[in-house]
Order: sequence, then structure tokens, then C-alpha cells
Amino acid sequence: MRHQRWFTPWVLVIPALTWLLVFNLWPSINTVILSFTNAKPLGGGTFVGLKNFETLLHDEQLRWALLNSVIYMVVCLPFLTVLPLLLAVLVEKKLPGITFFRTAFYTPVVASAVVVALIWQWILDDRGLVNGLAEKLGVISGPLPFLSDQWLLLLSAISLTIWKGLGYYMIIYLAALGNVGRELHQAAAVDGAGPLRRFVHVTIPGVRGTMILISILISVSALRVFSELFILSGGKGGPGGRDNSVVMLIQQYSQGFEGNLGYASALSIVLFFVTVVPMLILARLNRRGAEA
Amino acid sequence: MRRRRPAVVAMLAAAALTLAGCGLGSEDSGGSGGAKPTVDANAQVTGEVSFQTWALKPKFTSYVEGVIKAFEAKYPGTKVTWLDQPGDGYDKKVLSQASAGQLPDVTNLPPDFALSLAKQNMLLDVAAADPKIKDEYVEGGVQAYQYQGMDGTFGYPWYLNTDIDYWNATKFAAAGLDVKNPPKTFDELLAAAKVMHDKTGGKEYLMSRLPGIGDFTNAGVKILSDDGKKFVFNTPEAAALLDKYRDAYKAGYMPRDILTNEYLGNSKLFTQSKVAWTTGGGNAIQDFVKDNPSLKGKVVPSPALDTPPLYVQGLSVSAKTKNQAAAIALARFVTNAENQAAFAKIVNIFPSTKASASDPYFSKSDGTPESDAKVLAFESLAKAKVLQPPVISGATNDFIGQQISLAIAGKISSQAALDAAVAKANQLLTQ
Repeated sequence: MRHQRWFTPWVLVIPALTWLLVFNLWPSINTVILSFTNAKPLGGGTFVGLKNFETLLHDEQLRWALLNSVIYMVVCLPFLTVLPLLLAVLVEKKLPGITFFRTAFYTPVVASAVVVALIWQWILDDRGLVNGLAEKLGVISGPLPFLSDQWLLLLSAISLTIWKGLGYYMIIYLAALGNVGRELHQAAAVDGAGPLRRFVHVTIPGVRGTMILISILISVSALRVFSELFILSGGKGGPGGRDNSVVMLIQQYSQGFEGNLGYASALSIVLFFVTVVPMLILARLNRRGAEA
Repeated sequence: MRRRRPAVVAMLAAAALTLAGCGLGSEDSGGSGGAKPTVDANAQVTGEVSFQTWALKPKFTSYVEGVIKAFEAKYPGTKVTWLDQPGDGYDKKVLSQASAGQLPDVTNLPPDFALSLAKQNMLLDVAAADPKIKDEYVEGGVQAYQYQGMDGTFGYPWYLNTDIDYWNATKFAAAGLDVKNPPKTFDELLAAAKVMHDKTGGKEYLMSRLPGIGDFTNAGVKILSDDGKKFVFNTPEAAALLDKYRDAYKAGYMPRDILTNEYLGNSKLFTQSKVAWTTGGGNAIQDFVKDNPSLKGKVVPSPALDTPPLYVQGLSVSAKTKNQAAAIALARFVTNAENQAAFAKIVNIFPSTKASASDPYFSKSDGTPESDAKVLAFESLAKAKVLQPPVISGATNDFIGQQISLAIAGKISSQAALDAAVAKANQLLTQ
């Protein structure tokens, strides 16, 4: 036992390494290879050089999709970073019946994205709950086009994402709040700090790392949004496809027997770089904050 | 700095892992004539053969098993292995089977699926082995498996369907329209939509769908060039049709949500009693009433506007089958007049054999709206046509739909929408 051979650890690692290479790394490399071809699901296709990337430079649909993805991220990021923290602070308190509120806030998280989006579709359509109520109350004279106007549809999808994400990030914050020392709060209180000052000077610094992590998660999710926009737009990406996200475009191009895997792969590469940028920015912010 | 590089590489690799991975398929064979069989229809039939259907279990298990038993009894020494795939994701299942070279010997493929496989020489030209196919099956069914620019017939037509029109009699009466004399053309439909809108103060809708390629075909617009290599539907006639829809939309004759409605949106709205017209197969009344019992007795069928669409399902034979004789014999047996008629009577679809045309089950109504609908649909098959060419891929269809919705919403002109749709469709066709 003491004279362990040099290759023993490698033998033990081989199954995991094989899994990693075959099912994780190879598909990613394959995506890069495919992006330089005109491959279809039933044919490897031929090498077309940078043609797919040239095409996407002039692709108006991609421009709209990128714009939508960026808007999605910019709007979702502050709401989903701050609101769940406030919720977590509220439900952290040990009060009678607080479990009900914790459960209520978390319920949208466990509901299927498709079911949730369908329910919102019924709520928001021209004869749906919101328009019906608003018309009965006399707030509006005609229904608001939540699902047929380019910007209102995007806003509706963003609202849905925020509503569904609140509980999820609240749970992460709850875990982080448990690690913020109670003695810090007590010391601040002794020094005369009120609840707001304790929140700003004790709670927020205490969960700063979690906030950065959540910001990264939100950014990546927002840039890769699919279900909400897909369902609310009836799978069509809204009028003129102007509510598409990049993932929806990838899905549209890769679907079916005649799917254009080459172009869809090129779009995947674009999405990869678009996703990495905010991750790097937030990671750098985190490092700077930690060094300060 | 030295330690940073591996970290960056590792991070990039980890992030790349989240990207979708896609398998490289086989090299494009570039064939245009399809695979020719090496046996004829009279070759000895024996041995094992696999047969794949699309969502027939468990509802039609006994029927399929009965047909298989009859086949095995007719051809002693044969054994059929039946595979039934679920309804959702069937295209993906067939794709993975084809990519892995494991397509079953006989597979249920609609014409657009079969086209892609035929282009890769994965299907047999069944008419080459069985020239009688053209005599025994209806013309539209056979033609659905013949493609522009390719020689051959790549499937036995199995069963057919078409759409007819359905009207909500209560809504017609409320608008002062005569449900016994419903619109017969698109222009009459527009006129009736105006009446319904005006008489109900804009509260009721008749129309509830955007036009598609099938509507252009119906309006006499040529979709593809003669050699099948270019889309050409950006004509003034197509633009005029879009203009009519745009004007109707602007006037409020259609719900605004149709811009983002799914394919079956109009039938959903009809079932919810939100609109007074939809299209559907010959058995659609049962579905409407099942989903909304208050529609019972209110739904009146009539023939489709202009040219009815033809929907075809068929059985194709894999080019890689090791038992061509048995595979061809099985596809022919399952689709013969007797078996198709029996199947059509339990599924409410229509047989594709010429011999079934005189079957009174399909051609005589018992006077109920359900039975009327079935007979209307059956009679419509005689002039039904495949309105959308199978070369239109999912991405092409999506893009065309998006441009149409832009035009209907009045964001761009109809001609500009069609020009953009044709340019993109041609780009996707040649890629």
C-alpha cells in the first residue's frame, strides 16, 4: 500500500475524465467546428470558413436579439439583486406565520416555467385578467397590447422573470444572512445605528460576495432567456421576430431536419462571448471590492 | 501573471461547456435521385423487419398488432418488430436514428421528414420496386413523396387529411349572418368579418389567424421556381393578399393577439368561443365539444375556402434495410385499401387508396354535424392540394411568419415584408 504506483491516481481519474471529455468538452469543441461549416442535422456539411460569422454581422434578427438580451439583463439585474435581499431580510425574522410567507415567495420558483408563462399569457392577453379589470375599473378605454406590441411584450417577459426569480435568490440571500454575525448587528445597535444604517453598513457588506454571485447568475440567465419570451410570443419572437432572444434564434435555426447547425453554432459562439463579458466585469468588481 | 493564464483558459473552457453541443453527421452524399432498390415487388418475402409508427400506442395497439399478425400470416417466415414513438419530439427521434444509421426498415414519415432523408439517400425509391403504386394510390398522396429536382417516390401514402371550415352558429345569428350560407372564398370571409365586427360593436371576431404560405398558394401565387431552387412568392398578388389582411387587422376585424398566436391559435380561440370561424380536420367537432361542451349543437361545418389543404402521412423504407423485400411488402401491406379503410374508420382520417373512394362509410352522412363534417372532408380530398412545399424548413417558416406579422401590424409594407421573407428563405435554402 505504501508503494503506490505513479499511475494509480490516473487510473482512478479516467472514468470521470472520459465523461468530462466526451460529454462536456467535445460538444463544446464540436460547436466551434460546426460554426465554420454549413452542417445540417443529416449531413456534416462542408467548410465555409467565416461565412456564418459574416452573415451574422448583417443579421438584423441577431441585432434585435442582442438588444433584447442586453435590455433584459440591464432591467433584471438591479431588481433581482436588491428585491430578493429585502425579501430575505423581511422573512428572516422569526415571527409567527413567517413560514407561510417564505413558502409563498418561493412558490413561483418551483412552478414550471412553461406553466407560469402560459398563465401569464392568459393574464395579459387582450381579453385577459389585467385588461379586463383595468377596463372595468375605467382605467383604460381599450386593451393594452401586452402580447402584440414589441416593447410591452419584452416588458411583460421581464416582469415574469423578475416575479419568478425573486424567491430563488431570496433563498440564497437567506443562507448568506445566516452567516452575518449577530454580534455585529448588536454592536451597531449599541452604537446607535437604526435598522436602515444596520442594513447598509452591516447587512450589505456581510452579503457582498453573495450579491456579486447573484449578479453573475442573473446576468447569465438574462442573456440566455428563452422560456418566457418563447411562450409569451407564441414561439414566434413577437411581431417581426423583434422580441427574440439569442437562444430563441439558436433554437429557430437549429430545429428540424433542415436545421442550419452551422449558423446556429456561430450564434452559440456569439452568445458565449456575450455571456462571458458581464461575468468578467462582475468578477473584476468583486476582486477590487475584496482588495479594498 | 503566470498562474493567471491557466485560470483564464479553465474559465473559458468551463463557460464553453455551457454552450449547446451538436453532433457532426455523416458527409453530405449530394445525391439527387434517391436510393434505388435492388429487389422488385415479387421477390420472396421472409425474415425480420422493423416497423416504426408515430404515437399509435396505446390507443391503436390492437389495430396495429392485428395488421402485423395478418402480415406475418400472409408471409410465413416473417417477423415484424413494432416500435412506436411518442408524439412529441418525433422529428428528433427520427433524426437521431438516421444520424446513427439505425432508421427502422419501415418508418412513418410525413413528406417533409422524408424529403430530408431522401436527399441523403437514406430512403428507397419505392416506385422503382413497385411501379403499381401510381395506379393504386391517389395522385396527391403519391405526389407528396415526389420532390422537385429528385427522381423517385419516397414513401407509400398511408392516410390523408384535410381541413374544412367550422362556424359558430350562435355568433353568426347574433351578427345577423346566415350560418347556412357561410363564406366560400377569402373575400366573402372578409366581408362577413366586417359585418360581424360592425353588428356587434367590435366585440365579436370572425377571423383569427395570419396568412401563411398556404394562403399564398390558395391565392394563385407561385411559391417556388420551376426547378425548385428559388422562392418566388414576393409577387404583387401576394402583397395584395397581405394588404387585405393588414386592412382587416387595422379595422379591428381580428384580435390583436394573433400577431403572437401559435399555429393552432385560431382553433383554440374558436374552442373558447372567442371567434366564430376556424379550420380543422373532419373530426374536429368532437374535439371542440370535448374541450368546451357549451359548443354542442352550435358548430356548423362547410367546405374549406378556395382550395382545401392536403395533409399526407406515409410509410417510407430505409435504404439501409437488410431485408428490402419484406420491408417493401410490409409498407405496401399496411397501406393497402383494406387495412387503410379499417384504420380510417377508427381514427377519423381518410384512406389514400383509390379503391377506398366508393366506401359509403366516408361518402354518406347520417345527418349529424359530425357526420356531415366527415363527408365534407372526404369529398374535399378530391380537389385538395399540398399547399406548402416540404422544402420550407422550420427556420424559413418562422421568418416568413415574422415578416407577415410585421406587415399585418403595419410596421413595414407588404411588399417589403415579402421581399425580406424571400431573400431569407433563399439564403436558407442554399445554405
